[in-house]
Amino acid sequence: MIVMEGVWWLLPFLVALIVGALCPLAGTVLLVQRRLFLVNLVSHAVLPGLALALAMGLDPGLGGVISGVAGALLAERFSHAERSEQVGNEAVLNTVLAGFLGLGVLLVPLLGIRVNLEAVLFGDLLAVVPFDLLRSGLALLAIVLLLTLRYRQYVYLGVDPLGAASAGLPVQRLRLFLTLVTAFTVVSAMAAVGVVLVIGLMASPALLALLGAISLRQVLLRAALIGMVLSGGGFLLAIQPWVNLPPGPLIGVLCLLLLPLRRFRLRACL
Amino acid sequence: MLRVSKVSVQRGSAPVLDNLSFVLQPGTLTALVGPNGAGKSTLLQVLEGQLPLSAGEIALDGEPLTPRLARQHLALMPQRSEIFWSFPITVGDLVALGRLAGRRSLCCDVEAVLQRVGLAGLAQRRLDQLSGGQQQRALLARTLMQSARVLLLDEPCAAIDPPSRRELLKVMRQLADAGFTLLVSSHDWGRDLDSYDRVLVLDRMLLGDGTPAQVRASLGDLRVGNHCCG
Repeated sequence: MIVMEGVWWLLPFLVALIVGALCPLAGTVLLVQRRLFLVNLVSHAVLPGLALALAMGLDPGLGGVISGVAGALLAERFSHAERSEQVGNEAVLNTVLAGFLGLGVLLVPLLGIRVNLEAVLFGDLLAVVPFDLLRSGLALLAIVLLLTLRYRQYVYLGVDPLGAASAGLPVQRLRLFLTLVTAFTVVSAMAAVGVVLVIGLMASPALLALLGAISLRQVLLRAALIGMVLSGGGFLLAIQPWVNLPPGPLIGVLCLLLLPLRRFRLRACL
Repeated sequence: MLRVSKVSVQRGSAPVLDNLSFVLQPGTLTALVGPNGAGKSTLLQVLEGQLPLSAGEIALDGEPLTPRLARQHLALMPQRSEIFWSFPITVGDLVALGRLAGRRSLCCDVEAVLQRVGLAGLAQRRLDQLSGGQQQRALLARTLMQSARVLLLDEPCAAIDPPSRRELLKVMRQLADAGFTLLVSSHDWGRDLDSYDRVLVLDRMLLGDGTPAQVRASLGDLRVGNHCCG
């Protein structure tokens, strides 16, 4: 018991490390597909599913994944319909995002459930349980498997979507898999950084990792490493007595610091 | 031989292509010219099996062109604007992607294809480190990697400088001489047109079909409407 008390930080630290690798992997693939908007959309669209699953006594993660994917598919469907009328897709995406977020917030009192919204939105690493470790581990496994089995197809889709379709690649299926993994990633990262701050951990490591890279594989490895340093380091920093800040928001702020670092590296590359 | 017979395509109630008929013979380099919005890209996508016909038929060597047959024998090189040029990839890896088109057994060596388009020794170079003309040739190499015999090139000469354009035209000519059938879309009506064996002038319907000299004679200075540049 005394030993466990001494290493209380180990479980959240492991979750932080796994989420730190997981988020940039999914974020990198989305970034090179020019579909990073999906993270913002899915991260807000998971809320109604979370609330419904809680009310039904199911795992909130499962509800979140279903709801996140439903939001993404809905947005995609309406975006396609709007494209022929030359209306920007961003308006559709943001409307779906706000609608799902609103629905999630409304469902909490309507279903009479108790949800710590602050923890959902901004994460609470200090409150993670072993199941969070399992879930984030499974999500990491899912993205690694997807990238191992479909690596070249995602490269093709990223560099030339039209050519990929023309070459007979299952473009819609590949995008659906990516949406599913994104939703799983967002739900798994919820415990660490929350659904609002997850975008930082998905986007910023990939931005830095892209510089000078000669392959997507190289970007993925670099981004995962940067993400682990950010997330794990952010957690360890947050729990220091002289810091004592919530880890999720601190990790979000650390992500911001990557931008000047990227600019510095960009200049060095030129 | 690719035969297009009375092909029409509609989007909603608006006709995009109207009653097109022409034949492409093997080993020929054909230009498909017309203003923006004339339906050039649509026609290429129709030939490639990505868009359905409203009327008419397309046949390859007498066989109706199904999407499966199109994937086996035709390859599309998309417009420059469709490509994410900053993608982290080397030239060699980009070209090798052509193998994913489902005809792996027929694929050739990356370095041999790069040599064919004049990019020998650049396989390890990052794609965004190439010039615009070299990038287009790298994309053409990837299209060649698909082992198709009909190459549909969507505005490959757009937004590249004249020397690069000439180099690309030279490569296209060599491919035609080697037996490939090339249909190359362009909205540019410059002197480059003389490099082609044949010119199809499109503005939703076929306005001209013949050698560059014949089309020039029948359509004046090859200007259609007010859209085209000289």
